[in-house]
Amino acid sequence: MTTLLDVDDLEVYYETEDGPAQAVDGVSFSVEEGETLGIVGESGCGKTTLAKAIIGILPHNGYVNAGRIQFRGENLTELSDEQRRRRKWEEISMIPQSAMNGLDPVYTIREQINETIETHRPGTDRVESNRIVDEMFDLVGLDPDRADEYPHQFSGGMRQRAMIAMALSLDPSLILADEPTTALDVIMQDQILNRIEGMQDEVESSMLVITHDVSVVAETCDRVIVMYAGQIAEEGPVEEIFGNPYHPYTIGLKRAFPDIRKSNQDLMSIAGHPPELVDPPSGCRFAERCPLATEVCRTEYPPEMEFGELRTYCHHADEIDEEFRPVADRAETWEQTEAAEAKNAKATEATK
Amino acid sequence: MCAQISQSDGESIFADLDDEGSEREEEISPRKRQLRLYRRALGEQWRVLSQDNLVVASVITLLFFITMAITAPFVAPYGQTERLTADDGTIAQWEQPFWYGGEGGYVLGTTAEGYDLFSQLLYGSRAALLVGLLAAVFVAGIGTMVGLVSGYYGGRVDDALMRLVDFMYGLPLLPTVILLVALAGPSLVNLILAIIVLQWRTTARVIRSQALSLRERPFVKAAKVAGASDRHIILKHLAPNVLPLTFLYGAFSIAWAILTEAGVAFLGLGDPNHVSWGTMLQSARSYNALTHEAWWWFLPPGICIALVVISGFLIGRGYEEITNPELQE
Amino acid sequence: MGRAQFVVRRTLQLIVTLWAVATALFLLFRSMPGDPTTYIVDPSLSGEARERLIESYGLNEPLHVQYMIYIQDVATLSFGQSFHSNRAVRDIIALYLPRTLLLMLTAFFFAYLIGITVGIIAGWRRNSDFERRSVFIALIARSFPDFWVGLIVLWIFGAWLDVIPMSGMRSGGIQYDSYWNVELWLDTIWHLIAPAAVLGFYLMGYPLLLMRNSMLEVLSQDFIEVCRARGLKERSIMFKHAARNALLPIVTAGAVALGYAVGGSVLIETVFGWPGMGREMVNAVLRRDYPVAQGTFFIFAMTVILLNFIADLAYGFLDPRVTYD
Ligand SMILES: Nc1ncnc2c1ncn2[C@@H]1O[C@H](COP(=O)(O)OP(=O)(O)OP(=O)(O)O)[C@@H](O)[C@H]1O
Ligand SMILES: [Mg+2]
Repeated sequence: MTTLLDVDDLEVYYETEDGPAQAVDGVSFSVEEGETLGIVGESGCGKTTLAKAIIGILPHNGYVNAGRIQFRGENLTELSDEQRRRRKWEEISMIPQSAMNGLDPVYTIREQINETIETHRPGTDRVESNRIVDEMFDLVGLDPDRADEYPHQFSGGMRQRAMIAMALSLDPSLILADEPTTALDVIMQDQILNRIEGMQDEVESSMLVITHDVSVVAETCDRVIVMYAGQIAEEGPVEEIFGNPYHPYTIGLKRAFPDIRKSNQDLMSIAGHPPELVDPPSGCRFAERCPLATEVCRTEYPPEMEFGELRTYCHHADEIDEEFRPVADRAETWEQTEAAEAKNAKATEATK
Repeated sequence: MCAQISQSDGESIFADLDDEGSEREEEISPRKRQLRLYRRALGEQWRVLSQDNLVVASVITLLFFITMAITAPFVAPYGQTERLTADDGTIAQWEQPFWYGGEGGYVLGTTAEGYDLFSQLLYGSRAALLVGLLAAVFVAGIGTMVGLVSGYYGGRVDDALMRLVDFMYGLPLLPTVILLVALAGPSLVNLILAIIVLQWRTTARVIRSQALSLRERPFVKAAKVAGASDRHIILKHLAPNVLPLTFLYGAFSIAWAILTEAGVAFLGLGDPNHVSWGTMLQSARSYNALTHEAWWWFLPPGICIALVVISGFLIGRGYEEITNPELQE
Repeated sequence: MGRAQFVVRRTLQLIVTLWAVATALFLLFRSMPGDPTTYIVDPSLSGEARERLIESYGLNEPLHVQYMIYIQDVATLSFGQSFHSNRAVRDIIALYLPRTLLLMLTAFFFAYLIGITVGIIAGWRRNSDFERRSVFIALIARSFPDFWVGLIVLWIFGAWLDVIPMSGMRSGGIQYDSYWNVELWLDTIWHLIAPAAVLGFYLMGYPLLLMRNSMLEVLSQDFIEVCRARGLKERSIMFKHAARNALLPIVTAGAVALGYAVGGSVLIETVFGWPGMGREMVNAVLRRDYPVAQGTFFIFAMTVILLNFIADLAYGFLDPRVTYD
């Protein structure tokens, strides 16, 4: 397998009133040809920012501060705007987080897909691009006759599928799917996920599936990255990440989702919030909410540790197996963090 | 009018005021409480507004002209229509400003009829501000009341009032004011009345749509359930929430009213008993000050009008930014 | 409700509004102090001629009959005869209205062309110097009274530099046999430039500010980001997508504004001595030539009402999302 996308030590910042917010900070990973990589993490951890940086549509106050985004051996951040533009959608397309509102309300869907095709492949005749539209609509399970309607005439789920059709229309080698199933009911979610999987086999592209829904990842991905506050906490094959993770955050995240196999597990989220991204703590960003945190965690950035195919960024990763895993399911364990203690102290204060 | 107001559906700037019923509140009379409510609302407004340098500059400009209007009789060297004579006994016509080589020491020279331009300019601020401020207060006040009543009651009341507003929207501003003033007689009072009659429509429409959405908010519903009277709800719950909009339209009304007054006066329908900046321009034009190149006659009044109008617009724009969060960067 | 029904309902509303304005005019002129006939029939006429005229207008009839006659007259746009020139008001309007429209539409066209374009760029390049400057200029343009700017322009370019005519629409002494004489048109354009420019400058601020705000709103929407992701050309995103969406409210506002602007022509026509309907209305009012005042006023009101109507219809055709309910 060859490497399609190779992100190296990427930093993406947003200019804010209080200074730069380090939304993505030192992220490295790669995507192989034909592979599906998942990215999970809490809201606000920088997943969308990462995707926007890769495709090249950061908002006006966002910028790549450092790092490289190698795509097929080319560093995208060094390309001119025009070169970059040509690669968008043709090479890398996306299903945006707000796919429902991703279509221009004043043009029909066919017009918009045709426009995309004709921009990238000048000289394509209308018959040909119309044929592509019909084919894509078939692929996502929409009636091709309805391509001539305006977005507002579609239901939310249909719009999302139309968006997927558009994302596939140029046969891109990488699709960034940002929460492709939010805003859909469970049945529809399942349908869309199956479609995406099926289509991916058909068009043989690689995919980056972003979600905070662990079950989506488990269903669709080969490998997973767990992000926390703009950084990678842990990365590895799906089975390893969910079966035998080495980062306390991954373990905690897993606990936050119901697992039907262990029905009487206490379902609990991790106390506290991710740190501010403007001027974040210098050590491990998870320290405040981590039951294993020690002084070194607060001052030093954790090293990369490898466990088979897993990559973990934690000072205490080698203590996990003996000391943490046996107690990780207990609620008391998660009471021993700085954030939980602060919360409890506040609660007792209030009752007084 | 360039104001496209959309207050976010989230909480209003004042939503917290209603929830703050601490025990102490009940001790003070409802009247006092209401006063305090409005005062806090205004204080909050001013706090936000005063962060904008342009708004502060505009307020200072307006205050400057208000001072000018009040002190005109004391500061002005001559009466507004006092015919001046030169040393040789002839009428001091077309005199240039003294700093431009003119004789007689007139700050801005004299008109073709021998009036002192500087005195006219000072007195002229009275007409402008009187029209601007009075019209603004009534336009904003009437518009707000109609809008609130219409939006709050809905149904027939709303229908009737809105058809009236639709009709008002069918009237072109300047021609209607001209017609009304011409038929009723050219005087400042008639002019102010004409402007008020025509201008409340915009405020009413905007405030109504605001009231329509406010009516559905929990704090209004709660007050209704608690048995508050309609009057009470309109005055205490709705009015403070639309106050920024009222002020926005009030500020814009100052600008429009002053422009209208100047225009009508320029056309020769100004109050014959009061000099205004518009009548100064009118006489400048009819005495051909242009070809005499007597720019000290026609430049200053226009600049004064523009300064007051810009101040109105800028204060309005400041408010617009408060009321329209999308404009805030 | 379908589009056809909407058009029908809106048309009825149009007629009702026109009727209401006509009625208001009737009441206004009848409620003036003094003999109401003086507002319709020239008071300088006397004796038999006067009686005949009064009769021909039905002024000896009871009020409700008069009202019916009046409404019929309005419906056929006949407002009687001018006291001043004795010509039919309808002919006067037919003479002056096209001149006003020539000035107004020229100014309006350029004001909206420039205003909208600058507004698009200002919105697209938010926080740039370009944006700040154009917003500032727009505010200035809207704050200086247009008649005063007209005076200044006449002073500088007319009295001082002598490159524009001081007044009027045509030079005296031009010979022409038909309206399609080139020399005549060039001369008219020469007279048109200054008033149209001043008026255009004044009108420009509104579409500029409106378009900028509308662009800012559209640019914050998700589909713009997707357009960028789709690798569309910058120019295409800016005009074909962002501006096309942002334009919707401006078309409506512009149509409405045009209606009011025609009434505002009064001032600019007076300054530049442009012989249009606005100036004619003011002259009529000042001369107490009531039939002309009434007729021209009604045309101004009708313009406003018609353009409000057109704006409402246009919106439905431009925005596919509009539903009529
Ligand atoms: N335009 C912006 N300006 C400033 N900060 C921003 C901007 N967009 C995002 N951020 C900040 O960057 C961080 C990452 O945001 P991002 O949208 O990438 O999160 P996410 O992981 O996609 O979250 P979610 O799961 O909710 O979509 C957040 O803290 C957010 O507040
Ligand atoms: Mg996201």
